[in-house]
Amino acid sequence: MYGAPGGGPTVYDPMTLPVDDNVNKYTFCVELKGSQWFLQKGKMIAYYGSMEFNGIGHGRLDRLVRTSFHSPLHASEWVVAEGSGKMLLADRAFDVNSYDLEDGNLTIRSGNLLAFQPSLALKQSIVPGFLTLIGTGKFVAASNGPVVFMEPPIRVDPQALVGWADCPSPCHHYDHSYMTGLMGGLRAMTGLGGASGEEHQFEFVGAGTVLLQSSETLMAEQATGAVPNEPGVPGGGAHTGPSQQAGAPRLPGQLGDLQRRFGL
Amino acid sequence: MLAVDMTGDAVKAKNGSMVAYDGQMAFKKLSGGGEGLRGMVTRRLTGEQMTVMEVKGHGTCWFADRASEINLVGLQGEKLYVESSNLLATDAGLRTGTTFTGLRGASQGNGLFTTTVEGHGQAAIMSDGPAVVLRVSAQYPLTVDPGAYIAHQGNLRQSFQSGVTFRTLLGEGGGEAFQIRFEGDGLVYVQPSERNTIAGDV
Repeated sequence: MYGAPGGGPTVYDPMTLPVDDNVNKYTFCVELKGSQWFLQKGKMIAYYGSMEFNGIGHGRLDRLVRTSFHSPLHASEWVVAEGSGKMLLADRAFDVNSYDLEDGNLTIRSGNLLAFQPSLALKQSIVPGFLTLIGTGKFVAASNGPVVFMEPPIRVDPQALVGWADCPSPCHHYDHSYMTGLMGGLRAMTGLGGASGEEHQFEFVGAGTVLLQSSETLMAEQATGAVPNEPGVPGGGAHTGPSQQAGAPRLPGQLGDLQRRFGL
Repeated sequence: MLAVDMTGDAVKAKNGSMVAYDGQMAFKKLSGGGEGLRGMVTRRLTGEQMTVMEVKGHGTCWFADRASEINLVGLQGEKLYVESSNLLATDAGLRTGTTFTGLRGASQGNGLFTTTVEGHGQAAIMSDGPAVVLRVSAQYPLTVDPGAYIAHQGNLRQSFQSGVTFRTLLGEGGGEAFQIRFEGDGLVYVQPSERNTIAGDV
């Protein structure tokens, strides 16, 4: 036996690993007892026991996909782990945490979601780049720095937003008094005269919870798949306005705004 | 950051990893990792290169490298297998060498060879995020993603598992196409992050 040297790190074995809990701030342990978990590709770092990882297109899993995976368009980003044993999940040394949903709903930035129980249903959000989880169960999400829970009404920085639960209404908010006019446009475009970088926020009102990460570094976006190309679907591509990419609203100060201001 | 208190003794550390010291220190580059001519030739041939300096003196010396997490491993005569890129410093009394790893190395993109550290003393290994130490025993074999593996010690057999099937070719693979399985008795260090490996997207 190889013991931990005096004062060294804790040595884990399948008995001492926590059940469905964090091993440390960056590593999460999931116990499988013949059950299944959905996880994002490549986030498993190690496991004890016997497990199988199958792409979601796998025939046997078809029924599971039908009941709890409603985003056929990005199925290739997800795998189903099944078997028995303990599995460690981690994502690029970001903070990971688990959250419990009880008959609720939560919308989360696609890159932040690591894994979830099949008792939850995963759907694409109408908001591009976000996914919605509905039902009862546990999911694991990563964030850059610890997650803070806030109550609406609140305005948040777009880069710090991780997700929101129980349906507050997310909308854009612009600091108009600071941005409008020729001077405002110039200020935002050149950065001269004090563009604070905080002229644009997301606003949440209504009852619910907003999840923020304590840094403004975004996590790499995970493709959520294309949405059906129909009119009325945000990001659907059919007549969403001149060069207006849904999901990436043109930032204030880009030349487009200036042109509009000058009536060009 | 690793702080080493020294009273006339020496440590071997990755070249350029000293960030501060107080007291009297002498830094000496050790060509070929201080393993003599044979070690030097082996490292050249295997590509498992390591530039090492010897730090000797009285006082405290601080080491760090790219803000990565540092884990201390105490060795009592066992052998520690670690990638040379993950090894920050060792006690001068520890012997380092090179060994063949086979397919595991290839799947990690780290080459076919790895560094061994042997003897009595402490070694400092680096990881992206704090490493999790997992025990492997006869009844509990462990399977590890090659991208998250950083080091192991003890009497372990490793075997390479590949889950590549026709599904992988269809782009519907499980995302964990390559795995290393450890059996035997020992400890495995994994980091909460995955290096980019050729298997990363399969």
